[in-house]
Amino acid sequence: MTDSLVWSIALPLSGAILSVLLPRAANGIGLASVLGSLAAALAVIWTVADQGPLTYAIGGWTPGLGIALRADGLSALLLLLSALVAVAASVYATAYFRQAEQRQRFWTLWLLLLSALHALFLAADLFNLYVTLELLGLSAAALTALSGQREALEAALRYLLLGLLGSLAFLAGVALLYTGYGSLDISTLTHRLSPGLTGWSAAALMTSGLLIKTALFPLHFWLPPAHANAPAPVSAILSALVVKAAFYLVLRLWLEPFASLSTPELVQMLGVLGAIAVIWGSWQALQAERLKLLAAYSTLAQIGYLFLFLPLILETSDETLRHAALGGLLLMALTHGLAKSALFLAAGVVQQHAGHDRIAELRGTAQALPATTFTLALAGVALIGLPPSGAFLGKWQLIAGALQAELWWMLGVVLAGSLLAAGYVFRLLGHAFGQARYPARSLSIGRQEIPALGLGLAATLLLGLFSAPVWSLLAGLAPAGGLNP
Amino acid sequence: MILDTQLLYGLVGIFLFSLGLSSAFASSALLRRILAINVAGAGLFLLLIAVAYRGPEINPDPLPHALVLTGIVVAFSATALALALVKRLRETDDD
Amino acid sequence: MTDVVWGLLDLLLILALLALAWGSLNSRNLQRAVIYFIGFGLLLALVWVRLRAPDIALAEAAIGAGLTGALLLAALRDASHSPDHTDRPDRAWRLNPVPTLLSLGLAVALGLAYLQALEIADPQRLAVAVFSHLEQSGVSNPVTAVLLNFRAYDTLLELAVLLTALLGIMALGQARPAYAQAGPVLAGLVQWLTPLLILVSAYLLWIGAHAPGGAFQAGALLAGAGVLLRLAGFPDSHFPAALILRGMVIAGVSLFLAVGLVLMLVGRGFLDYPPAWAGGLILLIETAATLGIAATLMLAFLGGRPAAWSLDTSTTGRIQAADMVRHNTGDNP
Repeated sequence: MTDSLVWSIALPLSGAILSVLLPRAANGIGLASVLGSLAAALAVIWTVADQGPLTYAIGGWTPGLGIALRADGLSALLLLLSALVAVAASVYATAYFRQAEQRQRFWTLWLLLLSALHALFLAADLFNLYVTLELLGLSAAALTALSGQREALEAALRYLLLGLLGSLAFLAGVALLYTGYGSLDISTLTHRLSPGLTGWSAAALMTSGLLIKTALFPLHFWLPPAHANAPAPVSAILSALVVKAAFYLVLRLWLEPFASLSTPELVQMLGVLGAIAVIWGSWQALQAERLKLLAAYSTLAQIGYLFLFLPLILETSDETLRHAALGGLLLMALTHGLAKSALFLAAGVVQQHAGHDRIAELRGTAQALPATTFTLALAGVALIGLPPSGAFLGKWQLIAGALQAELWWMLGVVLAGSLLAAGYVFRLLGHAFGQARYPARSLSIGRQEIPALGLGLAATLLLGLFSAPVWSLLAGLAPAGGLNP
Repeated sequence: MILDTQLLYGLVGIFLFSLGLSSAFASSALLRRILAINVAGAGLFLLLIAVAYRGPEINPDPLPHALVLTGIVVAFSATALALALVKRLRETDDD
Repeated sequence: MTDVVWGLLDLLLILALLALAWGSLNSRNLQRAVIYFIGFGLLLALVWVRLRAPDIALAEAAIGAGLTGALLLAALRDASHSPDHTDRPDRAWRLNPVPTLLSLGLAVALGLAYLQALEIADPQRLAVAVFSHLEQSGVSNPVTAVLLNFRAYDTLLELAVLLTALLGIMALGQARPAYAQAGPVLAGLVQWLTPLLILVSAYLLWIGAHAPGGAFQAGALLAGAGVLLRLAGFPDSHFPAALILRGMVIAGVSLFLAVGLVLMLVGRGFLDYPPAWAGGLILLIETAATLGIAATLMLAFLGGRPAAWSLDTSTTGRIQAADMVRHNTGDNP
């Protein structure tokens, strides 16, 4: 079953290679490889739930000399989210790209991006992570530029260059760690690292590189133009997963190799930046004139929530609090992944139908596109964090944890963020449900509307009602301090 | 002497990295920014190769050498894509 | 005595390196900045030789200085065609205090961290592990052993990065038009150089198993031959048919992945070469990778897709397409 770790990376990669050669069959090749990759991700999570964390030593070499792949509850859940969103967005893409040439270009880069994401979630080696980060950054930038519009090209170039700077900072940290501790394997480093200038500098470099990539305030400025100008399925995966992949690495690094370096001040600072991101992102989303821009700003806010959890997870000795908070964080991340991809896919349908995505002129959308409007509403419920969405449980954990840790300011942030989110969601729905005098005929674009609707339903119902497995998968993950040799 | 060589070239690498990084943030022209990112990357490669150096008699540590080879190819890939984006942006200006 | 000579040589190299880096970052004239950068890359290749990294020296000269330089010069040429939109040289360089201070601060902090890292380190790091497993790797060049065996997965992903960059470039637009036909001198030179480069590249590929060299250096040299031909006016019509071109581009990454997966399917493990076969498999992968790297680097130089990239231009392409399909389904598990 550990072979499924390899398959979840190798299948999209094979698909990408094949569709370079057979572009006319790209739709079929692409769908087959994302479905296969979903099956592999399911096998991974099944095995992790059954047997605990998995390790796969590539080439049979011991990790350190060789490279290992690793899956625990955290990475398996994100891998599954990625594979799931990829299937929905891929089905959507078969109908979204009307021009055969553009569709062919999309598929190869798309499948490369998915291999990069899956490779990143499963990586257990720091230099290998650097390569996956570059693969991710290059494919994401190339996909952002796909429309060839001026705004998209500018956004893609900025995205690419900032991503490169982020990767370089990451690599600098890796070089320092290799110099001082003689390994690139994450678990080896977890045992070896001790507080000191080497570790602190490496941690600072790698974390700031990743903060650029995850677009945490004040390093967020590149995100809205990139996510708002990319083709809809690309925006969906960028917002739902690519920024979260960088966040996942921050979490992974601070839970494991850097655990012994963490200080309350530092973690509080990340929490405060998260808080500012929640307020700033939600406020900008409320002001946004375009639907895709609204969605992009809302991503900034949602990333902020994830950072709000860090003080509860990294600076507590209370194992139950930590476990509860980690589960809450994952529920927020998973719900946002599903909801935001649903929102972007629905926004793409709206844009193609109306020819624009200006929120103030969306009157009549509910009459013309009832299923898509319903998707927007479902995604909105999850973004606000209303029950029964998983985000409701996530925010609940956040508040409960903040009360226990006596971090009162967090309550205000969560409350304000939720009110602002309600504001931007209802403003959008208010316009979409407005009656048009001459409504366009009701449309149905099954291959685009159904995947979006499915993601929306999963965001609101699935995780909220069946959240227990998330906690049991996360049990035993990185105990406090991370320093058990 | 070995340590000195390691130290000297490693520090030069770190200096080039810092110089490139700050120039990349400071300059507005796209080509300059791309040059600066490449200089910063080269600085890191120099750091890694300096760490690998173990004197004139002992074979150097091959691991950083392999990492730098990978790094050079990745840097080329990124530069080529960035320059193509710059070219396309110019063409849209001309239209 | 020799220590003093080495010390002087080090000092000279470093001063020249710093001067060229400074020039390429701060020169007012963009063209000069690019020339300085190419010089910086070439000097870096000397530094690699000094630090006993001949594999890197070869790659740096061919890719870091050579091909990157060619790309940058071509980009400058584009810029000079639309004078209104050239990157305006930054005004007379003044020491901008904030970034300068930041970079100095960063350098000092990292420098101190580096000092501490050298102090706490076990100086062997992973070198012992690499050398003690070298015999089982199938090759005797330790760098090739790391690249194609111990950390083969990194190299596989690296080939995917290269492919991604190329596909991104191909998605952006048309290639630069072919250059004017070269005059007799350049044409003659290219006629001499091309076969030489192909020979050297084949030699580097072969020797890579036990001496400096390997797929990347060989592929880059081969691509260099392609770039030279292009500069001498080699027209689009001389490209191979689209399917062959695409097959060349994916040759390395597809064979590499296929070998890895086949080994897993027969029960060994992903990229887990049987020791007796390791040398042969590595040579096979490197040969395909050389081809792929050469085709990719050469096409990346064009800055967009040539007519030959599109599958729809010719009917001959389609007939070959059918052939290649039959051929390729056998290769991919």
